[in-house]
Amino acid sequence: MLSSLGNPRQAAAQLLNFGLIISTAFMMWKGLSIFTDSSSPIVVVLSGSMEPAMQRGDLLVLWNRNIWAETAVGDIVVYSVKGKDIPIVHRVVRKFGVGPKAKLLTKGDNNHSDDTELYAKGQDFLERENILGTVVGYVPFVGYVTIMLSEHPWMKTAMLGIMGLVVMLQRE
Amino acid sequence: MSQQEKISVYNLADLKNTTDDAIPNYLNSLGFTQSHTLSDVRLGLGYLALLTAAACFAWDYQLGFEATKLPTAAAVALYAVLNTALTVWIFFVERGAVYVGTSPDGRARVRLTSASVRGAVPEYRLTAEVSDAATGRVRETVEVRRGFNAWFDAAGRFVAAPFQVVLAGQVGVIGQADPKRREAAAAEGKGTTGRVVDESVSAGYTPEMLAALQGAEATGAEAEAGKKGGKRRKA
Repeated sequence: MLSSLGNPRQAAAQLLNFGLIISTAFMMWKGLSIFTDSSSPIVVVLSGSMEPAMQRGDLLVLWNRNIWAETAVGDIVVYSVKGKDIPIVHRVVRKFGVGPKAKLLTKGDNNHSDDTELYAKGQDFLERENILGTVVGYVPFVGYVTIMLSEHPWMKTAMLGIMGLVVMLQRE
Repeated sequence: MSQQEKISVYNLADLKNTTDDAIPNYLNSLGFTQSHTLSDVRLGLGYLALLTAAACFAWDYQLGFEATKLPTAAAVALYAVLNTALTVWIFFVERGAVYVGTSPDGRARVRLTSASVRGAVPEYRLTAEVSDAATGRVRETVEVRRGFNAWFDAAGRFVAAPFQVVLAGQVGVIGQADPKRREAAAAEGKGTTGRVVDESVSAGYTPEMLAALQGAEATGAEAEAGKKGGKRRKA
């Protein structure tokens, strides 16, 4: 209980427990980032542009190391372009050239036209460095929680508050 | 002296933790020297890991992922090592110790470990390991098992005296440092000799006695408040 705050060692231990939960989650995420070589190895599908393959709320697992083969036509990739924060998951439909400077064109399965409109101003194609990773696995629907949280910010506040309170009041 | 805070008698973790917290108070008051090495090493390892993660977060936030891959990989490895060390320390070195200290004469080292309460049995299980301070050889290991009702009254207040009697009666070194409590334990134990703790013989304090003891320890104001049937006191 809160009375433990009178003892500095116990207070430090309690703070440490709380800190370790957060830091372990963060370091696991970073470890996964390093392992997959992707700054964001797990993403949530936000739009229906890849239906019926991927629904809104699906959780995708990315892999960004081209060990055996280069990114090829038909791969579903997640890319982000300069000036736009939100990464996009679409399929590679055209590829010109080989190597890191190959020109890639993407398109959403459920979209009528290709992605040239979505690229940065003056950009007509993607290069390897724009890609955050190739989709190698997915978990349906799980990511809907994060969509809910970002669309209803009060939920985020409430969740953090409850979590904090539980950690403060519990010792085991 | 003892915690005036009330706990829920149905919360086994609270019962155990409150009892654990009472041990250092008691032993230190008898002149035992508490050693904080175990918890200090744990805190050191833990905060070092936390610092690593914080630094990693800072440079990641400032410089981005691509520019800091190498240090991030190093930080992840270091964090894994520190966390493993911490886990090993907690499970194999600390092993749930609630008190480590040296007896007043400096000759014996005591290590008290309380097992976490399992299932629905409201029982405090304390293991006291007494070793020679000089050689480190274990002299005796005593296991004490007692229902929490021996030192918690019905309202959930911890009453120090009966708990101290149990400790002094069961663990030789503590009894030596506190002859008064040891005699009390011997007097109530009549017949139950040595280390065997008979479950049916509680500390010898009835619930009424616990309440009375609590009243004697409480300040006048609180005792009065108790008489009024737990009505909230005016500030």
